[in-house]
Amino acid sequence: MSALVEARGLAVGYGAAPVLGDVDFALEAGERVGVLGPNGGGKTTLFRALLGELRPLAGELTVAGRCGTVPQTERSRLDFPVSALDVALMGTIAGRPWWRRPGRAERRTARAALGRVGLEQLAERTFGELSGGQRQRVLVARALVQEARIVLLDEPFTGLDAASAERLEALLDELASEGRGILIATHDVDQARAWDRVLCLNRRQIAFGPPAETLTREVLAATYGGAIVTLPAEDGREALALLPPHHCDHEHSA
Amino acid sequence: MTVLASVLTALGDPWDQGIMQRALLEVVLLGLVGGALGCWIVLSELSYGAESLAHGMFPGLVLAALTGIPLLLGGAAGILVAALAVALAGRVPGIGRDNAVAVVVTTLFGLGVLLALSPSSPPGIQGLLFGDVLGTSAGDLLDGAALAAVVLAALWVLHWRLLAVGFDRLSARALGAPPLLADAALLILLALAVLVAVQGLGNLLVVAVLVAPAAAARLLARRLLPMMATAVAIAIVAGIAGLYLSYYVRVAAGASIAGFMVLAYALARLATLAESLRGAATLTEAN
Amino acid sequence: MLMADVLDAFQLPFVQRALVEVLLLSVAAGALGTWIVLRGLAFYAHGVAAAAFPGLVLADGLGFSPPLGAFGVALLFALLVGRLSARGRSGHDSLTALVLVGALAVGIVLASDVFHSAANVETLLFGSLLAVGPGEIRLAAVVAVLAALATYLLGRRWLAVGFDAGAARALGVRSPAADAVLLVLIALAAVATLSAVGALLSTALLVVPAATVRLGTRRMTPWQLGTVALTAFEGTAGLWLSFQTNAPPGATIAVIAGGVFVLAATARVSAGPLRRLLGDDAAPVAAAATLRGGR
Repeated sequence: MSALVEARGLAVGYGAAPVLGDVDFALEAGERVGVLGPNGGGKTTLFRALLGELRPLAGELTVAGRCGTVPQTERSRLDFPVSALDVALMGTIAGRPWWRRPGRAERRTARAALGRVGLEQLAERTFGELSGGQRQRVLVARALVQEARIVLLDEPFTGLDAASAERLEALLDELASEGRGILIATHDVDQARAWDRVLCLNRRQIAFGPPAETLTREVLAATYGGAIVTLPAEDGREALALLPPHHCDHEHSA
Repeated sequence: MTVLASVLTALGDPWDQGIMQRALLEVVLLGLVGGALGCWIVLSELSYGAESLAHGMFPGLVLAALTGIPLLLGGAAGILVAALAVALAGRVPGIGRDNAVAVVVTTLFGLGVLLALSPSSPPGIQGLLFGDVLGTSAGDLLDGAALAAVVLAALWVLHWRLLAVGFDRLSARALGAPPLLADAALLILLALAVLVAVQGLGNLLVVAVLVAPAAAARLLARRLLPMMATAVAIAIVAGIAGLYLSYYVRVAAGASIAGFMVLAYALARLATLAESLRGAATLTEAN
Repeated sequence: MLMADVLDAFQLPFVQRALVEVLLLSVAAGALGTWIVLRGLAFYAHGVAAAAFPGLVLADGLGFSPPLGAFGVALLFALLVGRLSARGRSGHDSLTALVLVGALAVGIVLASDVFHSAANVETLLFGSLLAVGPGEIRLAAVVAVLAALATYLLGRRWLAVGFDAGAARALGVRSPAADAVLLVLIALAAVATLSAVGALLSTALLVVPAATVRLGTRRMTPWQLGTVALTAFEGTAGLWLSFQTNAPPGATIAVIAGGVFVLAATARVSAGPLRRLLGDDAAPVAAAATLRGGR
């Protein structure tokens, strides 16, 4: 079986200089891969490259299948006047000629996807009024509507209570068992131990492989920058001193 | 009964005149375009851009008025130049976009005033600055209706792509809605809408119809389509109210229309404020 | 002879008064314009000046001191928008635009239909050589002194916040009071520029020269001194052109300042390849990106 995503010697960045380099990994169908690293370590940059927003500066990146994305909810605007159903329907845009609007078939698909993530009752609710976990599930439903074979989740567990996190985790298991490939950026090293593989990034690829062999003290220290991470059980939040590169622009600070 | 009858006469009276009928149609066109597109302008936080384009097109309008070519052409050329100048200035390193836009707009607006107020120019700059909704001709209405139809059709077709970009810029591209394309489309539609509205409200007051009704509707509606309908309704009602005011009290029509639109926003704001206060009060009572 | 013409114009008392006014204002513009550019307050400065317009009309019609009326309304605007902008950016640009257009509408109705001072509208919006009296000069002098003093005393705080509001708070640089002073001073300066350049073109003095000098220097003191000099030069040239063409001084100063900016930007960019200025995007895309950022 060929990989859904394959990166060989990949380097990506916003200008001429790469902010992430030496990336070599593969995402197989049915796998959940945790992407670990400090803020500014390149997780978001990798996702943007997978989504086609950034072109590789060097190396190769093959993406065999549509990418659906579940961004951090802070980024989606909570006061935007859309319902959960509207958000799910956004997944139908690419599959339609540009002059057509969503019809009955698309609405049925979107409702069915909301049903799969357990939110059929809340389809008409304003997106911003849903709880954090419900919002994540709406965005997963949007990826389902897109028929995405690859799903990228950016810190989906941040700010969720235990019950919502468990529910989301079960949903991700289900998606993987259907043969989708799941990439999950996270700070939670412990949680990543339950997944199939982990990819450790800190401006370059530190390690890639099954968590049991990969998540050694040395790898974690290299990933999170020095000796600050001493206990793997702590998720290394204290070590995250680096700012993402696009936040260092003085022009926008006022 | 006589009171009712006289009120009805007073309400119906203005519309016997051709000037007022054309003004009414112009106000409806304004409201349709301004209200609908305004929602995207407010949601995308493009108010400063709208204001800048409206001001920056001024030399184009003045040149058209001086040389006798149609205002619509002059305005279109003016907007094109303004947009190009803004695009270039935004790329000058080191001063920031906000300032770049301010520099371009100040310069172009100053240039327009210089052309319009030099002694060799005929009088009548105020019509360009503040609009002349009562001077709308049948030809103006036809042009306006054609542009309005283009804007509304484009909004209808682009709706879902604009929605995806407005909701979440960063993942919109993966959904098949490239953000830069949506930006460019909004900019072009904004230019068209300014062209429709400039006849009625003039270069300075155009931004009222593009921002105020939509900003008010945003406070009142919780979905985009109702928000657009509310904004259009507010814009048309405010426009008609402005026409009545100018008919009976003889104040400047464009200014009173713009004034009513801003007033509508202020009322909507007060209403939501009162509601949240009442909500807070019931909460404290419950505790 | 051109030089003689120039000197001729400046021998008339009302032109001399306007010249003194512009020179005083250039001190204020040099001190405050740099902060406006650094902090991205250009739209605010524009809005506050435009908001002063109905105040001017009211003062003109009711016969009290115009700067007082203008400053009253401008202060109201500063409080309203300043508070909101301090809380967060969202919706702040819509509000600025609304207050601005509302103020214009009220001002026009007042001017053309209540006080029947329609002939004055152009003067109030675009400035006039004849509008500068001793009262205006006194106001400009006060603003110049206040702006220089405040820059000396508070510059460090404004600078810290200018580069990173969050970091400034973390470093314990308490910004709210210093910020409020800056916003009020800008309102005061905008009001002071009204007589010379009018309610709609105050950015010609307050923003454009500072943005031009910024192209050449990144350090604060040379930037401020350069802005004072450039504003004085552009203001003087604008007054002369206004005298020659009979056009409002606001318009001539705006066009001259814009022309100088274009020259400076061209010089700056031609150092690098022109390709970078033109870029690789289509023009509407670039314009959209700039307008989006410029809120």
